[in-house]
Amino acid sequence: MPQTKLIYRRLLKITAFAGLLGFANLRPGQTAIVVTDSLGREVALPRQAKRVLSLQPEITRLIVALGAGDRLVGIDFFLRTHDHLFKIVYPGQERLPLVSMANYSVNMEVLTGLAPDVIFGAPEDPNVIAALETKTRVPVAAFSSMGRFDNLLDELRLVGRILGRDDRAAELAAAFRNHMAALKARLADIPPSGKPKVFLSFWNVFTNTPVAYEPVDAAGGVNVAEGLLPSFAGTLNAVVPVEQVLRWAPDIILLQGNYPPDRRTVTVAAALADRRLASLRAVKGKRVHYTFGFWNWWDFALAMVETSYLAKLFYPDRFTDVDLAAEGNAIFKMVYGIENGYSALCRIIRCDEWVHAR
Amino acid sequence: MSLLVRDLAFRYRDFELRIPDLALESAGLTAIVGPNGAGKTTFLKCLGGLLPVPRGAVRLDGRDLAALNEPERARLLAFVPQEHSASFNYTVLDFVLMGRTAYLPLFAPPSAEDVRIAEEALVFVGCAAFAARPHFQLSSGERRLILIARALAQRTGVLILDEPTTFLDPRHETEVMEIARKLAVEERKTVLMTLHNLDMAVRYADTMVFMKQGGLVAHGRPGEILTEELLARVYDIPMRLLEIEGRTFILR
Amino acid sequence: MPGRKKGLTIFLLILPFLVFLFSLYIGTTPISPSLLFKTLLSPLVSSWKASLPESVYDIVFAIRLPRLLLALAVGAALSVSGAALQALFKNPLVNEYILGISSGAAFGAALSFVVLGSRVPPQILAFVFAVLAVGLVLLIARRSDSPIVSILLTGVIVSAFFSALLSLVEYFASPYSLQALFFWLMGNLWKAGWTDLAISLPIIGAGVAVLVLMRWRFNVLSMSDEEARSLGVRIRREKLIVLATATLITAAATAVAGIIGWIGLIVPHLVRMIVGVDNRRVLPLSAALGATVLLIADDIARSLASFEVPVGIFTSIIGIPLFIILLRRAAKVWR
Repeated sequence: MPQTKLIYRRLLKITAFAGLLGFANLRPGQTAIVVTDSLGREVALPRQAKRVLSLQPEITRLIVALGAGDRLVGIDFFLRTHDHLFKIVYPGQERLPLVSMANYSVNMEVLTGLAPDVIFGAPEDPNVIAALETKTRVPVAAFSSMGRFDNLLDELRLVGRILGRDDRAAELAAAFRNHMAALKARLADIPPSGKPKVFLSFWNVFTNTPVAYEPVDAAGGVNVAEGLLPSFAGTLNAVVPVEQVLRWAPDIILLQGNYPPDRRTVTVAAALADRRLASLRAVKGKRVHYTFGFWNWWDFALAMVETSYLAKLFYPDRFTDVDLAAEGNAIFKMVYGIENGYSALCRIIRCDEWVHAR
Repeated sequence: MSLLVRDLAFRYRDFELRIPDLALESAGLTAIVGPNGAGKTTFLKCLGGLLPVPRGAVRLDGRDLAALNEPERARLLAFVPQEHSASFNYTVLDFVLMGRTAYLPLFAPPSAEDVRIAEEALVFVGCAAFAARPHFQLSSGERRLILIARALAQRTGVLILDEPTTFLDPRHETEVMEIARKLAVEERKTVLMTLHNLDMAVRYADTMVFMKQGGLVAHGRPGEILTEELLARVYDIPMRLLEIEGRTFILR
Repeated sequence: MPGRKKGLTIFLLILPFLVFLFSLYIGTTPISPSLLFKTLLSPLVSSWKASLPESVYDIVFAIRLPRLLLALAVGAALSVSGAALQALFKNPLVNEYILGISSGAAFGAALSFVVLGSRVPPQILAFVFAVLAVGLVLLIARRSDSPIVSILLTGVIVSAFFSALLSLVEYFASPYSLQALFFWLMGNLWKAGWTDLAISLPIIGAGVAVLVLMRWRFNVLSMSDEEARSLGVRIRREKLIVLATATLITAAATAVAGIIGWIGLIVPHLVRMIVGVDNRRVLPLSAALGATVLLIADDIARSLASFEVPVGIFTSIIGIPLFIILLRRAAKVWR
């Protein structure tokens, strides 16, 4: 009897929650997981969701990595139009109807027609989240890792639970952790003074730098802008005066290179020729390189590739055994099940031309 | 300076101005009178070069008005508008100084000589005391006077004034007419003005020009052409002429 | 009173130089005045140049000097342009962007960042489209003979047109092009380099000189068209000269510095309140005060926080409340 009482009580709790949050549309037989999303909202998400709509590229990529790409019912504007990598890892995205527009607004007609069980949104657009909440009866959760690996892994686990792909999620998470642990082990004996100071230039403006970039830390470097106050609330961007860069005196300068070359406005050539930077050690030693960077937050595989790439860049002598192309392809195969994913990416953004990216 | 009008025609929406032949008196004061809508101001603006006129219609000392460019014209005739809407509160002296524009090339500020001429003009109209005052602070009578001073600074042979006495009190009205008279007689300028006040016109003008509905009705010395019949014809109401102490007054 | 005005005039004219010297001293890296002095003279004294810490030379000559000079040039250009247009349009509420320059320039920059991937630098396209926008305004407004009102209205329409085009381009832009565009639009001098100066300074210098030489003429041009014509002004010609010059210098300034608002509107106003409305003073002093104001704003913008505040935001934040205060006192100066 106490068991039934327990189940009864749990059911009561859940229905109470669902009632409170208005989620009376949960299909009979489905149970829910209550989560707190990145906007601090408590949402009841269904288990074993069959029809998933993700408007947040990072989550979409995780869904594909979990092998549940066939459950996607729609795709957002960014992945459809601007993400060259996603087209490589999931060619099937072509069949998906476009749900959002360039200004991040959502086509409600299309969306309701798709009848998703769950919607993932981006915390950057709370208006969209609110609109979806009121206009559809579908549970909406907003997640973003904000560039942090532990958040990324949490998201992975959660999405795995919702899709009923817990094992696969665990497998990926373990691979990720092992990758980072292995790297850490090989760099364990480097003292803080031996770590290169790195200035990152992202987002198409030379002095726009992320205040936190974990791959640099994981690869044994130090982000000179670490801990700075971001210029724009809710982002990681800080736009610093050029003189500040000089003051930091970085050993290495990394420019975001995850664009096709003809779209790059901040280039290595320009940085090396910039008179204002001429006195920098990094410029004199020609240690200005491209790196992958964020691309609407993380791609799970690319995050791992990035750390290996950077480790090899920072400590070439220690990582002579690492063949980036082979490792890259292997990671992409493990995560997405595709062959030569890394090489395909390199063909587009010419990362084979980057130092060490061979 | 002689001002000759021949076959002046100007069209403006539903209104047409036609002046076939008119010689305006040099070195004298001519008053153009007539009812509202007669085209007095239009005529004046045509004479002043502010409205386009056909070639040869207006001749200044033999020179075709239509063939002159703005600076050339501004050195020959000066136009005093009835109203002046200013956006900026210049001092009176700076305001009058603008009359020297026609003599200054594009990139040159006024010289000391230009300033002297402007000051002289202010003295002539009796406003020298206000030279440093911002002109918004002036009364409408005073403002009229400095408009005249600005036109004087242009040092032209012809001076055209559009309704210079409207809205002025009797004292200022007289002041303006006295100045105009002085300019015609002492400075030997050709002074042209439109007036509503017939008494003033009769008293001060050497020549009167009567207009109605865009055309000339009569012109000549007041003593010669002024009759009650003419007045009734022009103004469409019966009027009476009265002689008191040698001066003519017009009664309605 | 005239003595005091003269004193103020002289003070305002030398102010930019004083602020310039002071601004050399400001920056993230502390450089002592004596070191600064040495650095500035080091091109002449080679022994000094050798003894300098390396980055100091670059900081002064590659970073600070071009930026300060650009601030002076842009500030002067926008203010003189604003003062000239205010006289021309007989309205102190007019600013230098009123003929569509800012919208045209923004669209040009957007084209560069988004469509051409910066193969053509944003400065060039911004300049081209800024001038094009004004050309369009003049072409359209030419039809009507009632000049002033129709030019202003056409300016509004053309501005709206280019804004719409801008929105269209933004719509299709990747978020990353948008970042660069967004930053450009906010108005900033961080990218100032000698190339920018070499191209914009001659245009701005020549244009400002022309407008300042014409300074007395603006008194007359601020009268109604009819009056100005009767005073002997060749209206069409002189208006065209003013519009063309003001457009060129504003377009050049906007091309290298983005959209920096409120300077062209506020500075001439301030000058009028200090020395009166006579344009013989207002034009040159607008140039001087505009240069000073932008320089000070930029000094604050780059030293306020660990990150850079785009100076355009800054001039708006200061300019708008200042404008409201000025508006109340404005009755003294205009109607």
